[in-house]
Amino acid sequence: MSRPVSEDSRELRRILVLGGDREGMAVAERLAKDSFEVVLLGTTGSADLPKRVTSVPEGVLEAVRGFVGAFAVTLRTPEGRRQEQVDAIVAASPPERIPKFEIYGLTPSKRTVSLSHAEELPDSAISVHKSGDKWFHAVFLVGLEGGSDTAVFSRAFSCAERLQTLDRVQTYLFTRHVKVADDDLESLYRDLRQQGVLFFRFDAEGPSFESTEEGLRMVFRDPLLGTEMELSPDLLVVDEDLAPSQQLRPLIDAIPSAGGFRPYVQPDSVRFPGVETPKAGILAIGASRGRFFPALFTAELDALSLHLKMLAANGRPKDIPGPAEVDPSKCTLCLTCVRLCTHGAIGFRTAAEVDGLSCVGCGICAAECPMRAIVVVPRAEQPEIEGQIRRGLSQAHSDHRVVAFLCKKSGTGAMAAAGNGALKNLVTVEIPCAGTLDPAHVMYALQAGADRVLIAACHKGNCASIYGTDLARARIAGVTSFLADARLDPGRVKFVTLASNTPGELVRAVRDLRSASEPARSAT
Amino acid sequence: MQSKVAVIGGGIAGLWCALELARMEIDSLIVEKAPFLGGHVAQFCCKATDSCQRCGACVLEDVLEKVKSRERITCMVRTTLTDVRRAGPGFQLGLLQRSPWILPDKCTGCGSCLEVCPAPGALSRSPGSPTVTLKDEACRFFRTGSCNSCVEACPEHAIVFSAASQPLDVNCSAVVVATGFTPFDPDEKPRFGYGRVPGVVTALELDALLRQDTFSPGNGKGPIRSVAFIQCVGSRDVRIGRNYCSRVCCGYAMRLARLLRNRFPGIEPTMFYMDIQSFDRDFAHRLAEAAKEVRLVRSIPAEIRTSADGRPELVYHGPDETRVSEPYDMVVLSVGLSPRAEAAELFGVALDRHGFPGAGSEEVRTSVPGVFVAGTAQGPRSITDSVIHATKAAAAAASHLRSMEAIR
Repeated sequence: MSRPVSEDSRELRRILVLGGDREGMAVAERLAKDSFEVVLLGTTGSADLPKRVTSVPEGVLEAVRGFVGAFAVTLRTPEGRRQEQVDAIVAASPPERIPKFEIYGLTPSKRTVSLSHAEELPDSAISVHKSGDKWFHAVFLVGLEGGSDTAVFSRAFSCAERLQTLDRVQTYLFTRHVKVADDDLESLYRDLRQQGVLFFRFDAEGPSFESTEEGLRMVFRDPLLGTEMELSPDLLVVDEDLAPSQQLRPLIDAIPSAGGFRPYVQPDSVRFPGVETPKAGILAIGASRGRFFPALFTAELDALSLHLKMLAANGRPKDIPGPAEVDPSKCTLCLTCVRLCTHGAIGFRTAAEVDGLSCVGCGICAAECPMRAIVVVPRAEQPEIEGQIRRGLSQAHSDHRVVAFLCKKSGTGAMAAAGNGALKNLVTVEIPCAGTLDPAHVMYALQAGADRVLIAACHKGNCASIYGTDLARARIAGVTSFLADARLDPGRVKFVTLASNTPGELVRAVRDLRSASEPARSAT
Repeated sequence: MQSKVAVIGGGIAGLWCALELARMEIDSLIVEKAPFLGGHVAQFCCKATDSCQRCGACVLEDVLEKVKSRERITCMVRTTLTDVRRAGPGFQLGLLQRSPWILPDKCTGCGSCLEVCPAPGALSRSPGSPTVTLKDEACRFFRTGSCNSCVEACPEHAIVFSAASQPLDVNCSAVVVATGFTPFDPDEKPRFGYGRVPGVVTALELDALLRQDTFSPGNGKGPIRSVAFIQCVGSRDVRIGRNYCSRVCCGYAMRLARLLRNRFPGIEPTMFYMDIQSFDRDFAHRLAEAAKEVRLVRSIPAEIRTSADGRPELVYHGPDETRVSEPYDMVVLSVGLSPRAEAAELFGVALDRHGFPGAGSEEVRTSVPGVFVAGTAQGPRSITDSVIHATKAAAAAASHLRSMEAIR
């Protein structure tokens, strides 16, 4: 793990682009035009490279270390391994196209081919050579099982349209849900039906396949008419699953919070609507973020270009807390922080070191450090939060004194939208992310006279630091079980998740806590 | 008044576009006709069940927070674009700003007006703030002059019904049209019974109730248990000239259905559809998850009528050509996204084949140099895709400004 270097000495000049093909080339061309130096991994299919672009056609990314403005990447090439220094990395790998032969229980053959293969087939391979009235039956299986992406439908539609216009070719498309949520796909779908392409949309069981001497035979129940049917296709086209490229693996390893149901560079979260990933300087576009629309790609390209230009010009945004600071005399190099940093912002040498440009100040590291060696600057130090709680409680005249820890990404907005009127006498402590919540502060609030403590965090899957909510929830579970062990009411501490646009949830949570505190008070 | 870029429409696309321009140190003016910023998204509820459903509505609150703190962005609410003139290489826009009926600096959000208002929907909390805003079209004062309860109830004298409109001219070098979409009017499809059969609402109406925290399954005649969502109302329908998919409604309805089921135990949602469009990454996985909570029926009802006990009754073709009649407690119409091209047409912008301003696809340029289009104004797209599209529009507007300066 390389260590962070000072912010001043860094500039954003040299960019590694992953993924040749059209996507990678488009990114390289654009960034070169923006005056960046580009190292392009993957085959380009074009001999003419723009100025400022270096191509490593057979290069494969093996490892990524370091931070924005100072990445050290290891590339594997036919000539051996080599190291490169780059300032930012763009994942622009096209998706892996995995034909679904196995999912459908089929074996690839001359007549059973993948969609990519069918797209390349010359018309002569399809036309009927025999004389007589025999027709050529071409069957497409699209999204019958497994993944089913609009971009695959778009390709299958174009391919089916080409086949259908050939002489004496009858084209069929077997699917479950016809995907038309893209430019003019609905009108293409309508055109195809008018041209005679037959669509079968299955809800229950799809077709079954059996091998006969003459070839493959399909047996199925017509979903509309309910009658048994059979068909012997001359060409069976099997669709493909679009999966994240294997090339992305080293990048995903560099971002502890990347992934999701399938490993993409971007977490599956609305907190990342653009091309950014949780780690500064690593960006994703197109299929690398799980989006396959060619048209959307052009918009993402503008977003990418703008983001890099702004990052080069302005550096770290000014309106976020942090960066966190490590006290080297306390650090024992346990590396808890390195492993837990959502944003991959921590490296180490003789002690853990936080990269100033990558840290967003969420404070997860500070809360998890067993040595309490990390603070988020501006210093959200214990005395200050304790002071806030003490002052707040002394001013709260209510009989039901509630201290609320509000995540800045959700609780604060909900509080602002609810207004003070609805939440009179609520003592609030704003924290940059629920993940920074210190159980000691919760205990302090109870000792200082709070009847109840509320923690308002983002919903699971909505945390801007991905797992801050989960960490906070686990810590609060620790607090409540401690209270129970000490024969205190564990209900005095409540953890809720909400969003900045749900002020009602916050009001309800506070009201519930206040009404719950009544019997508790009357009992004492 | 002078501004580099005028952004027409203060919804998610317009706001994001202004933010991107501000990042590039370009001044912009947002012209919003409603009394608050945020557009449709400001009226969407959070769709989280026990976890986030990735609808993206909360993105707006982040954006509003940032817009407030950017000096380069000026916002005018309750302002409409009335006319457009060419002014040198740029434009002169005629604007009409109506004074706010509820003065935002005086309103404390105490809610006294909300308690006395007899007209549903006339008064509501502004998104992201406790203050109250007033919708003229629902208010009895503006409809019939018959009511001024809120004026009398307001302890701060923050509600004033006598304020005048003020015209003004603004010069700008480029324009981004981000006027959003018009929800399809379900009256155009009378067979769905909207406005005639009790219990039939649009998905947007249900969403607004949830956002305002006023939806209760115990309301009305009896408890709401069965809820039917009808997809493709005004989409994929060539007979009414809508030969396109609105793209977002499948995910939108599915999220709403799952929200109802999780938040109000006892509600059982059913979704009637033609084809379920991908929403989210890993669609097959998501659909399998959703199908555990939402009953899926592949059929669009032929008719929705009032049943003998006064509920909406769906008549549809079931499997194997059977005819099914089923009563529901509530029917939610997933109305499609129709174009809203009035502002773009003032600039003389050509429309695409479906009536959206611009050249279709993801294109942000229009037939008029210097006029760009962003977000759902250009075509149906999700909240997060609108954000990316708005970035593209901002980049195009910035590049237009640069080329204008180069010519000079």
